[in-house]
Amino acid sequence: MIQVEGLTKRFVTRNVVDRVSFFVPEGEVLGFLGPNGAGKTTTMRMITGFLPATAGTVRVAGIDLDRDPLGVRSQIGYLPENVALYPEMRVAEYLRYRAALEGVPRAEVKKRLAEVSERCMVGEVLRQLIGTLSKGYRQRVGLAAALIHRPRVLILDEPTVGLDPRQIVKIRELIVELGRDHTVILSTHILPEVEQVCRRVLIIDDGRLVADGTPDELRGAATGTAELQVELEAPQADAQVALAALPGVAKVSSQGNGRFRISQDGANDLRREVFRLAVEKGWTLLELRQTTPSLEDVFLRLTMRDTTAPAAAEEEEVHA
Amino acid sequence: MRKTLALIYRELVAYFSSPLAWVVLTAFLFFNGYVFWLITAYLNDPRTQAMTPLKLFFGGTIFFWLFLLFVVPVITMRLLAEERRSGTLEVLLTAPVSEGQVVMGKFLAAFIFYLFLWLPTVVYVVILKQYAAIDLYKVASGYLGIALLGVLFAAVGLFTSAFTRNQIVAAIFAFAVLVVLFSVGLMEQLTTNPALKGVLGYMNLWDHMDDFARGLVDTRRIVYQLSLAGLFLFLTVKVVEAWKWR
Repeated sequence: MIQVEGLTKRFVTRNVVDRVSFFVPEGEVLGFLGPNGAGKTTTMRMITGFLPATAGTVRVAGIDLDRDPLGVRSQIGYLPENVALYPEMRVAEYLRYRAALEGVPRAEVKKRLAEVSERCMVGEVLRQLIGTLSKGYRQRVGLAAALIHRPRVLILDEPTVGLDPRQIVKIRELIVELGRDHTVILSTHILPEVEQVCRRVLIIDDGRLVADGTPDELRGAATGTAELQVELEAPQADAQVALAALPGVAKVSSQGNGRFRISQDGANDLRREVFRLAVEKGWTLLELRQTTPSLEDVFLRLTMRDTTAPAAAEEEEVHA
Repeated sequence: MRKTLALIYRELVAYFSSPLAWVVLTAFLFFNGYVFWLITAYLNDPRTQAMTPLKLFFGGTIFFWLFLLFVVPVITMRLLAEERRSGTLEVLLTAPVSEGQVVMGKFLAAFIFYLFLWLPTVVYVVILKQYAAIDLYKVASGYLGIALLGVLFAAVGLFTSAFTRNQIVAAIFAFAVLVVLFSVGLMEQLTTNPALKGVLGYMNLWDHMDDFARGLVDTRRIVYQLSLAGLFLFLTVKVVEAWKWR
């Protein structure tokens, strides 16, 4: 659906986006993840045709952006980062204006207006001036306007920034729902958002694509395998030696008070071995838990430039 | 066409929902009313030579020009500058409309608002008609002259609005360009070189308006103003296209 190849944007002497290539099949919700200033917005602006690329090609629904920019634009519903709207217009007026700009047939406008206002839950503010709306409503009006021409592709630039937690949940639910019948690219620097909403994640840092995969794949690729968190009532030194001697254990780090963190060699589940060891030695097992690295760990690891050791080795439970 | 209409409609909503438009409209009426009163008072003086009041009203006084040079930049300053400042430009330029359509929509909206400013002055014609015979052809050509000036001035104003995110800067820039356009023609009086005099005379906006007020519709005048306006609109489209390459 969206084919991006070698996309590059050069500002003066720096490549803000550097040879980014990816493909988004129809119906996928793609998370575009990266720290602030990584080049997310610039990449999205190039896909929408707002910024010309220094090099590379963009194809949306088989249409080449260079050949037919207006054709590509009509396939895309775009919600820019700051959701700029005209404060002096009423919501319904604005949506009708956008419908006309997008070339929605005149006879269809009324139907579409009802459709998007129901979907984005802006029905109750249709007659209100945009300038008087809360940030959450503005976001939804912007989204409704981006949907009015039934685009096949939705590009949302940080759609939940500046919203309160309840609104964030609502917008995320809406995006998940939209993902059922749209191809969506969503940029964010909020990690749980990606985990909840996206089937696939691209991580971009300093203009370069550093990772591409499902959240699970990225987590797996980051540390190879899971780690074990163990707490025992046992002599510290004995326990550490005994644990390290277990087959398949790569490294045991003591965290004091009988707490250990065990890195595994392979993909084997070591929990049984640890349990048996404890029984054998007569130690009381207080905690035994397998931890997988969170996307946050992956993200920090990939986007940190002084990579001596990933600082985010804190255990973090994963809400799958 | 429908897209351009939508753009025009949006701009008109913006005009009539902003206090500025109403202030401009009120000031414009007040000022023109005052000038109209001055003209009739002046012509009622038995010592002045006979003249038709509408000839003076349509560009025959310096007030007309001062106000026009000032008011058109105020009308046009918002058009593109505000769009860029607020970021709504991003939505506009990612919608399936061309830069030309955007520029045309905004230009036409400003022009319609300009005509709307002049609409109430038709009352003066009605008043004068009660007291004297009026040649309606001259009135029509006078308004044609005003409309042509509106086309040119609005194109210049839109052009300058494309250069900045700051409306005030856009207005001052437009004012400066318009003053140059206006005064270049007046320099006709200062030169003795016949060739230069001819060129400057061709560009003399005061004479243009004078011709129209006298009922003289000269195609050279029309061609000059429309082609200059066309040039500014073309340049505006180019500037809008160039925003992307900053």
